Amino acid sequence: MNFPTTVPTEAYLILSAVLFGIGAMGVMLRKSALTMFMSVELMLNAVNLSFVAFARHFGRLDGQIIVFFVMAVAAAEVAVGLAIIVDIFRSRRSVDIDDVNWLRG
Amino acid sequence: MEFVVFAVFAAISVTAALFMVLQRNAMYSALFLVLNFFCFAVFFILLGAYFLAVVQVAVYAGAIMVLMLFVIMLLNVAYPEPLDKVLGFLRPFGVVTAVMFAAVLAGVGFGSKMGENASIPPRIADPTSGAGIMLKGVGAAEAGHVQEVAATLFSRYLFPFEVTSVLLLVAILGASVLVRKRTEHA
Repeated sequence: MNFPTTVPTEAYLILSAVLFGIGAMGVMLRKSALTMFMSVELMLNAVNLSFVAFARHFGRLDGQIIVFFVMAVAAAEVAVGLAIIVDIFRSRRSVDIDDVNWLRG
Repeated sequence: MEFVVFAVFAAISVTAALFMVLQRNAMYSALFLVLNFFCFAVFFILLGAYFLAVVQVAVYAGAIMVLMLFVIMLLNVAYPEPLDKVLGFLRPFGVVTAVMFAAVLAGVGFGSKMGENASIPPRIADPTSGAGIMLKGVGAAEAGHVQEVAATLFSRYLFPFEVTSVLLLVAILGASVLVRKRTEHA
């Protein structure tokens, strides 16, 4: 077996796509708002991985800088999102998204 | 060697991600997600993004996951979801959609191999030009060195950086307002 010396960018992109798909599956399949939230974090990280892979591919730092900003936005998103979940739990005693259907037509 | 490390951690991260999604206990899901974040840190190191690897562990595996575990324990929702509440007939559609999603994205990944020479030429900068924005070569070892990241962040991306600080402030205020105790006259 002869392995390539460096990992090709395509390998990272495929891994990123697989992880993003798993995250998307989590968002669609799970009923707990908290687990859906974690799946969204997984999707964000998968996209970060392809940003860094492209940064190396093109030999530029911009991709890494964007990942830095994505992390900052994700931190803000987690803070506000968890606050919303706690607030919903207070009024509904549940984090099941089926119980949150006020806007249903 | 690098390829072996990549293959091992790719397998671990995919397995951990699957366990996270399929695990019915929210607490175990969160712990598998932490494992996943550590795998991402390894990938960042392999890609030469050392600064991001440290930030990944500190911010994601540290701060964000502690916040999540705290909320899981605070709400005491770490019990398995009852299966009868799940819309069973929708599950296959979710899996099919996710697989198609991944397939399309992977197709883009394969396609990039063909357009490698055509679309965007890799920038190999000469060291005399640019303010540390371009690297000395593709795959250069110093790609993610903190010095170069900082030089780029505080020159070309200074305004987005400042906007990010405002965003974090808004997030702090928003979270505080959302979870504060409601009073009758407020």
